[in-house]
Amino acid sequence: MSEIENKIREEARKALESGEISLVIGWGEGSVPFKTTPVFVEKADDVDKLVWNKFCVNNLAVYLPKTARDRKVGIVAKPCDIRSIVTLIQEKQIKRENVFIIALGCGGVADATVPGESTPRQMCLLCEKRQPAIYDVVIGESVPLEEPRAQIIPELLEERQKYWAEQFSKCIRCYACRQVCPACYCRLCFADRVEPRWTARKATADEAWMFHSTRVMHLAGRCIQCGECERVCPVGIPVAELAREMAAVIKANYNYEAGDPKEVAPVLGQFREDDVDPAQHSE
Amino acid sequence: MSDKILSKSKIQDYLKALAEKFTVVAPMPRRDAPAEFVEINSGDEPILDGSQPMMPPKDYLLPRYETLLKVDRGPEGVKIESTIPEDKPRVMLGVWLPDAQAIQVLDRVFLDKNFVDPYYAARRQNTLIAAVIPKEPRWSWFCSSVDDVENWRKNVDAIFYDLGDRYFVESESEKGQALVDVSAMSEAGDEDNAEKDKVWRRFAEQDILPFARKALYEQLEWDNPIWAEIAQKCLGCGICSYMCPSCSCFDIRDDMHDICIERYRCRDTCQFEDFTLMGAGHNPRPTQLPRSRQRLLHKFKYQHEQFGVVGCTGCGRCVELCPVNVDIRDVLSRTCVEEV
Amino acid sequence: MAEETAVINKRSEEIAEASDEWQPTILGILCNWCSYAGADLAGSARLHYPETIRIIRVPCSGRVDPMFVLKGFQKGFDGVMVLGCHPGDCHYAKGNYYARRRIALVQNLLKSLGIPEERFHFEWVSASEGNRFAQLVTEFTEQIKALGPFEGVAKV
Repeated sequence: MSEIENKIREEARKALESGEISLVIGWGEGSVPFKTTPVFVEKADDVDKLVWNKFCVNNLAVYLPKTARDRKVGIVAKPCDIRSIVTLIQEKQIKRENVFIIALGCGGVADATVPGESTPRQMCLLCEKRQPAIYDVVIGESVPLEEPRAQIIPELLEERQKYWAEQFSKCIRCYACRQVCPACYCRLCFADRVEPRWTARKATADEAWMFHSTRVMHLAGRCIQCGECERVCPVGIPVAELAREMAAVIKANYNYEAGDPKEVAPVLGQFREDDVDPAQHSE
Repeated sequence: MSDKILSKSKIQDYLKALAEKFTVVAPMPRRDAPAEFVEINSGDEPILDGSQPMMPPKDYLLPRYETLLKVDRGPEGVKIESTIPEDKPRVMLGVWLPDAQAIQVLDRVFLDKNFVDPYYAARRQNTLIAAVIPKEPRWSWFCSSVDDVENWRKNVDAIFYDLGDRYFVESESEKGQALVDVSAMSEAGDEDNAEKDKVWRRFAEQDILPFARKALYEQLEWDNPIWAEIAQKCLGCGICSYMCPSCSCFDIRDDMHDICIERYRCRDTCQFEDFTLMGAGHNPRPTQLPRSRQRLLHKFKYQHEQFGVVGCTGCGRCVELCPVNVDIRDVLSRTCVEEV
Repeated sequence: MAEETAVINKRSEEIAEASDEWQPTILGILCNWCSYAGADLAGSARLHYPETIRIIRVPCSGRVDPMFVLKGFQKGFDGVMVLGCHPGDCHYAKGNYYARRRIALVQNLLKSLGIPEERFHFEWVSASEGNRFAQLVTEFTEQIKALGPFEGVAKV
């Protein structure tokens, strides 16, 4: 790991010294050994703050729309973070020439909440796209994860409704899932609108249901399944599962994947005349 | 005040005895989520040893969503229904000591002599608080760094010390006697006392951080460069304030159901962009920097100036849960460096 | 055709007569140019269809935000129906093609959330298909009656 760290620091130093890049966003040492924290390096002398380990969980692309608006910014990114960057470029939130991508090979990250215990992130166990989609430099190689993934939500339809009711009853509407997501960059979120009020800020299960189900629809074809939303949830709601199932249907129906540079329009912003027809009455 | 021993095998007997006099509120476990303070039923097995993450007790005293009144228009005319909860004797068990101390902060806000919040008062004024000191303090606690925890004892009615197979229970107030005068308990001996002292010391001497308490109130300044650093990475979610046992900001909103209006209270946080957004569109805290600064100055400086009580009680939830590892212990260590 | 109409009318009247039984409340989101016009035709032809449906008119099925469907269920409608112009016949040329993708995804989301798919109906109804509209609403009402009241999105 240390060799990769050195290379990251070297690339960051070169970028900052080139004069073109005024900021490199990466991960730094956290306040405890099992956490890292986003760092914003502006001086070449500070590149030693950058680290790389299995606790580099944050999807740093979330900081790009604000920081890379009018200047070129470097970012240290895992393959999933890069898919977010691709989405942001496709949606014209940032320009490709304003991002210098230091891409990393990845073997999955670990989520830890107590000292000494960490588990591989569930989303990482499903990740097939471990090659960086776009990059300026690549450091290291991706390693597949061998562990099988457990089924998280119930298979049976009848059990699912109760399952989600129980899960959403925990929701405290902290909006951490939304704030951490690079794809949630709307200036005014539907959940904060009062005219019309789509969902009240009451911490009840049905309002939480409305918020989360709408958010998943808004992420349709845009969520790159990094799993950060689940990681940050203080009450353990597996919000990424809904987005994951949505992404699987989008791939099956429309052969479309979020974060793929070849896509030219959002999945819901295009259609084919031979699209699968969801109408239910055959005549 | 008296000291007793409660064997863990006698917990159900104890809870049954308490239930005859009180509504018992204790943390109940949930799937994949922190335990939650609820009114327990006979046979329930609450988490009384403080060993697991839990939602703060403010979620019971000041619920996340609470109806304040209902207005109905029926055939007989307009009817207004108040929904003030029942004021009945209650006891809260299994409360972390930092959370119990945080209730003092809430009391300053909601039981101010010039205005008593009737909803909070109904749940609070006849409620005994029994704190718990777990065998090992939680890794993220920093209580002794923010206050002299010896002074916290008098603010609870009883303290349960986890000695492994039993609790050492100490009443701290007259009313707290009712929590130890229970037949399920036995007398405490010298050995018990010695172990209890060890448990207390482990808690009280945990990791005193290199910042001086007095400096908190006097050295946190408006133009400290650290605010910009925090604001750069802070995502502006509500985790720190919603999970904090002493944060209590709320919003009051109206909802219409058919022709019935419900006025309710829900949580709000100074970390959301629309917290200070005004009707005309002006927002005095339009970016994350003033919002981050506000929260920390309020918690560590203004609340002390206003109420004479420390706003933060070191429960560590924000340290554990912040998605970007804004660690308040580090922030304070870097800003409050000298004894003033 | 007259026979089919008579059958549908009869079934619908039976639903109305069983007024002491529980009647579902159904949200219908209809596009102005085809399906709403079809509903209008049913009305002007005095075709009987159940009063269970509450119709919201939108300019085009492409206007239907998935949030409308989700909000309908959150508010407690027992069934939600979205109707639009047949593919190729959209008044705005392409709106219903976009609707196809959105509705397919909202159907999938309802499945992920455990909401029975029989409570949501999506179909193409043209302006001349008054009969079909009446039939559709009657059948959907019967379907929802069989399922019973919707217990809500968050009933634990």
